[in-house]
Amino acid sequence: MESNAFLKATRAKWAVVRSDDRLLLIALAGFVGAFSGLAAVALNRGLHFMGEVFQDVHHHWWGFLLPAAGASLAAVILSIVLKERAGHGVPEVIYAVSRHGGLLRMRSSFSRLLASCLTIGTGGSAGPEAPVVISGAALGSNIARFFSLKERQRIILVGCGAAGAISSIFNAPITGLVFTVEVILGEWRASNIIPIAIAAVAGTEVSRALQGNQIAFEHQQFVIHWTDTVASLGIVVFATAASLILSYLLRSMHQVAGRTRWPRWLRPAIGGAAVGLIGIFLPLVLGEGYQSIQEMIRGTFTQGLALAALVLAAKIAATSLTLGWGGAGGIFAPSLMIGSLVGVLYYRLLTGFIPAGALTNEGCFALLGMAGMVSGILQAPLTAIFLVVEITGGYDVILPLILVSALTSTSCYYIESGSYYLRDLIEQGQYLRPGTDARVLSDMTVAELVDSGDKPVPGDMLLSDFVRILEHSRRYLFPVEDRTTGDYLGIVFVDRIRPYLFDTHMHAVIMLEQVMDDSVPVVRLDDELVDVLYRMESDGLSALPVVEDGRFVGMLSKATLLDHYRKELIVQTGV
Amino acid sequence: MAERMLHVFRNTPLGRETLLQSLHFCKTLSVALHIYIPVSRQFLMYFEHDMIQIDLDASYLISTDNAESHARALAEPFGIKPYFIQPKNYTAAQLPDIPIHFDYMCCPRGIIDLSAKIGLGYIGPKVRRIIKSSIFPILMTSGVYKAWHGITVFYGGSSNAETALRWGVHLSEKSGRPLDLFTYADIRNADRPDARLQASGLWDRVRPLLRTWHKIDQGGFKESLYAVDHDALLVVGAYGHGLLKDFVYGSKMEVIQRWMPNNMLLIGPHCVSGN
Repeated sequence: MESNAFLKATRAKWAVVRSDDRLLLIALAGFVGAFSGLAAVALNRGLHFMGEVFQDVHHHWWGFLLPAAGASLAAVILSIVLKERAGHGVPEVIYAVSRHGGLLRMRSSFSRLLASCLTIGTGGSAGPEAPVVISGAALGSNIARFFSLKERQRIILVGCGAAGAISSIFNAPITGLVFTVEVILGEWRASNIIPIAIAAVAGTEVSRALQGNQIAFEHQQFVIHWTDTVASLGIVVFATAASLILSYLLRSMHQVAGRTRWPRWLRPAIGGAAVGLIGIFLPLVLGEGYQSIQEMIRGTFTQGLALAALVLAAKIAATSLTLGWGGAGGIFAPSLMIGSLVGVLYYRLLTGFIPAGALTNEGCFALLGMAGMVSGILQAPLTAIFLVVEITGGYDVILPLILVSALTSTSCYYIESGSYYLRDLIEQGQYLRPGTDARVLSDMTVAELVDSGDKPVPGDMLLSDFVRILEHSRRYLFPVEDRTTGDYLGIVFVDRIRPYLFDTHMHAVIMLEQVMDDSVPVVRLDDELVDVLYRMESDGLSALPVVEDGRFVGMLSKATLLDHYRKELIVQTGV
Repeated sequence: MAERMLHVFRNTPLGRETLLQSLHFCKTLSVALHIYIPVSRQFLMYFEHDMIQIDLDASYLISTDNAESHARALAEPFGIKPYFIQPKNYTAAQLPDIPIHFDYMCCPRGIIDLSAKIGLGYIGPKVRRIIKSSIFPILMTSGVYKAWHGITVFYGGSSNAETALRWGVHLSEKSGRPLDLFTYADIRNADRPDARLQASGLWDRVRPLLRTWHKIDQGGFKESLYAVDHDALLVVGAYGHGLLKDFVYGSKMEVIQRWMPNNMLLIGPHCVSGN
């Protein structure tokens, strides 16, 4: 009896949660955030383990083969065993959110973790954040699917997964929240932020419970003067240049790799071997590079100006080789190291011209370089600011940090309008910016809006017969089809044939196919509605015929389209 | 609107047989045929609540340069003009998204598996997922092309079977081919299918089309399948359960497809009712 009462009470409570979407989302957000956090911890532990196992191997002459073997094995696991495509995964998440209501494959929740563990753990120059983002996002997506949530709610849980993962891997909850909203979802809305914030907290708590409350880099005290803020403006130029070079090289390497006829599993091995070769001479470029970043922040990075410049160039090359040739991993960690090198180099160049005492130490500039680089490559200034603040535990440098992030992001945007994550999607026309007509309309199809009520008239119909139809009709346009084949021929616009209608002598002479307009653009069932709307506006038409397989399907009117657009907008702005 | 079928073409002798089945289906039912010639081993199908990655075996990429001409040549004797699908969107490079706004899709018994398994009676997990998620029926073809001349609906009285019956009626009305019903029920529940059919309001549509109603209440289910015509298209409701649920609950559909060499039209749980 007691157990029955307990079951009933539990069911009643679950019914309350299920009936209120916000409560349900909050409950699931914590769940998704915690699981994403676990995935991130697993990757972190895996990377530590791999680092310990292989730390001596890199010193051997044949050590360059290790990154090649790791990247190649990762590619085999991804493409042959798990049948996934390589890549870091964040564009895949953005694409899923943008186009398919956040639907992601379950296998994505672990495939990139395995692959990136092998790639980065053996020395590949990449970061762990992108693999954990897609893992967390895939977990969120599949949990949403399990609970049969609506599309809008599924997208939020995808964001929760990404937030939980980023929060956990960097022990940085605000960065997780901001990254998700700024980069993954691309829209700031209270209904999004609350569950994502909860997921970020859950992910961070899991990380702290299992790994301790540690920040990635030891906190340093900096005393910032106005001179540092002014001097930081120069970093914008250097960080912009470095971001663009890295971005260009990543793309070039990807194109070169794509043009080769080598098997997919072999391509990352080529990149990995090249990175391994660089690593023999400059081991600093291998892996995440957190130790070097720590030294730069501390001001104990002892390499001279020339060597630091060489490491910078080598790190950019190594990152391009790793990721461009199909290695699994993210861009955050390499960007942090490249950025800190940019900052250190800039500081050392600057102190060659002005007295060193006028500025705070080079560790501060390393932080500014990191923020500039991340904001430049991701074009996400808030993510960069909060990431640097949270992983270094310092708020001292916030003013120049904001300045550098905002300006670098803006300058990169002016030169290249898409971030590293979005560029390919934008170029292929596959990215639908949140809040745009294209995004709202992408959730509807031509088939849903087409009005099949308008029956076509045969092309060989005489005008006299047509006038009789017209007498009993309120339509102003008539689709015309071939009587024998049933193929669509064109449209008769009543207002355009008025001279013939009033000339009764013509009624027995003219057939509809002589007066129809066959130049009206037609719509196909798989056309994008935003393109259809554009066609209507550019041609000044209020309706277009939908034709599939050569047959007339129905008419699609602008009024219907805009009416459904408004309804969809209401749906998308609610939860 | 003319109904449309999606066919993933494999340019091999086995793929030829499958395409011939699709062509016969399209010809008989006046369905437009849309052919996708794969350019990579995988493609994605995004349904409303699920996405399915189809992993093809390497035979799908054999001789892709003359696949289109082969498909056109096969379609010509049927008087069908096939349409070839060019993917517009890609989830990742080499991972195209294939549209889903079709009314039917043709699948071999295991789209991922080796051709040899087709003869052994096995539905691959991908086909199960498609059945479970799609809003259109799946035509599962037999290994060798054989024209069908009648339609047999497996009707046990469940709601899934009722949807299958609606599709069967739709196909029969459209093709003019006779409709047979096959009901296997134990004696205690022998009246249930009749009662359900009356209650569904379908009887008036079924009656003029119905040729035979095989009502079998004796013997095993497998043995009873001998009553089904060898040249009938089987219309079967399916839940699209995974292997685990099949193991627990069992599956009539799995038994039918394993024992019957006929072409089958599987009606999944999300299929909209046939007109």
